[in-house]
Amino acid sequence: MSLNNGQTLTSGQDSTRNGSNSNRAPWEGVRAGLKPSTPTRKPESPKPENAITIAVSSRVLFSMEKEQQIFERQGMEDYIKYQVEHETQPLSPGPAFSFVKALEAVNTQLRELYPESEELFDVVLMTNNHANVGLRLINTINHHQLFIERFCMTGGNSPIGYLKAYHTNLYLSADPIKVREALEEGIAAATMFSQEKMTEVSETQLRVAFDGDAVLFSDESERIYKAHGRDKFFEHEKAHENKPLDHVQYTHTVTGPLKCFLEALGKLQKKFYDKGQRTDCPIRTYLVTARSAASSGTRALKTLRSWGLEINEALFLAGAPKGPVLEKIRPHIFFDDHMFHVEGAAELGTVACHVPYGIAQTVSKKGIKDRETSPAPK
Amino acid sequence: MVSTIQNTDVKQKDADRAVVVAVTSRAVFESAADDGGDVYGVGVAFPLLQALHKVNERLLEESSAESLLFDVILITTDDQQQQQSSRITSSTRHYGLEVSRFCFSSQEDFTESLLKNNVQLFLTIDRDEVLRASQNGVLSALLDQQLASCPSEQLRVMISGDAVIKPDTDPMPPGQKGAQSFSTQLGQMRQKFGIFNSPLSIVLVTLHGGRESCGDALRTLRSRGVSVDEAHCLAGAPRGPILSVLRPHFLLSDGVSYLQE
Repeated sequence: MSLNNGQTLTSGQDSTRNGSNSNRAPWEGVRAGLKPSTPTRKPESPKPENAITIAVSSRVLFSMEKEQQIFERQGMEDYIKYQVEHETQPLSPGPAFSFVKALEAVNTQLRELYPESEELFDVVLMTNNHANVGLRLINTINHHQLFIERFCMTGGNSPIGYLKAYHTNLYLSADPIKVREALEEGIAAATMFSQEKMTEVSETQLRVAFDGDAVLFSDESERIYKAHGRDKFFEHEKAHENKPLDHVQYTHTVTGPLKCFLEALGKLQKKFYDKGQRTDCPIRTYLVTARSAASSGTRALKTLRSWGLEINEALFLAGAPKGPVLEKIRPHIFFDDHMFHVEGAAELGTVACHVPYGIAQTVSKKGIKDRETSPAPK
Repeated sequence: MVSTIQNTDVKQKDADRAVVVAVTSRAVFESAADDGGDVYGVGVAFPLLQALHKVNERLLEESSAESLLFDVILITTDDQQQQQSSRITSSTRHYGLEVSRFCFSSQEDFTESLLKNNVQLFLTIDRDEVLRASQNGVLSALLDQQLASCPSEQLRVMISGDAVIKPDTDPMPPGQKGAQSFSTQLGQMRQKFGIFNSPLSIVLVTLHGGRESCGDALRTLRSRGVSVDEAHCLAGAPRGPILSVLRPHFLLSDGVSYLQE
């Protein structure tokens, strides 16, 4: 489905056949300021406060496994040497690549409908890499024709300050420590892993799937489940059906770390709806939760409603594995706080990332502790 | 009237090889609270001098006979401070600052002092002084009062990617030559240290341009032997928030440099 065919537009006055910037008034070239004019003028990057900024690290945007191995086994100097020697050799796509491509596809469609607006996705490359690696990354971006004009190559310094400076709405990295740091600073973040299998996804419709508890919602219910078991969990859910899945801590309300990102997606969705694009909206969101529709699902839906958030499809699996369902949905990205679900999804080819938030993160520690104290079988 | 006093506490640098950096005494010392004592309080540029000193220390650690060092001179352009020349020298000694010379001149002829002392980089908190120095062909940068409040121990030099001119541009603007030779020397100094734990960090920032400008700048700098540690491409994003994270001591542009416009 492509806007250029004109078949889905109801009000045609904003559309242009070739999707170029011909809607811009003559004086807008002047506003482009210091940018040199090129034959095919690149659109300007939106101001960070207006845009939905997605920061991605180099290892999730591109596949750098070989390079990572060299770094781990031979050290920094050899790693940089290798990168510089292979500077003109573009890297292949990593797990976040198709997600970024889909963001750009949404931008193209948003620009056609709202040429003046800066409410767009802005992808920033946020990498710990030394600037020596910069040329290879720039060459790779050029090769894949990605629209990434902003980046920070911090040469080893923490990215957190820069994430804040860019009003980052979502940070994706292969480094779980940085992801946790970002979450602690209130920035939505998730750890991505290289995957053997990545099924084909749509090039025109962005699909984002979320787990519910500890991702969109607070981890309150998970805590009860872990502490008191299933029955208590259901009891609690029924009793608090009308209470949103957030809680007040001191002076602010604690929600799941990705709630704001869903909100940002909803804002853009509304822009498409306002132009008559509801059924074929270029952004689609999914809730994929272990909750069951019959019992605990109600509270999830009521919570979303109380927050004024819409989700296009809610799938209540009642504990069934998420992999097969996600395989059918084919999202560009799936967020879950349980590594078990992340791995399950990835096995079947869904790009899944881990949100290291909430009570689920202490489970593995407990597991290790149990193994240590119990007599080891020889 | 221009006069120069050598600081006998400090070993004089090799005039042919050293990188002469002139800083105004008004930037280094806080003269607002004039209690009439012997010693001034520390000013905006104080941490910068310490960072320059640290680079020299580490360079000498690598090679005790190193001659490519920073040669810091204190230049007093302020008539009021001039009268207190002894207070400036005693303050310098008090803090143990590695200043090799003191230059005293009036507001009108301080540029003469810069040229006479072969100054390669002039740093001040006064915008007019920056302009005048640049007009006379001396690479000059404005020290930012806001950023100085959170100083870094490591000397962090910011190079503006928007102003890095490609090698084949002809004719070269006058301010460029100074900027180029300074950055080349900086590059040489940087090479003496490893990737980690360097007392000096070179940060490339492209404020207006996108990745192409940044790529061009990286290539150009590399051709001059300048290996950049960090590269940041803003493509028009507001510079304030990024700069406060970057914490550069000063920004090298094309002769006239401002950290905040």
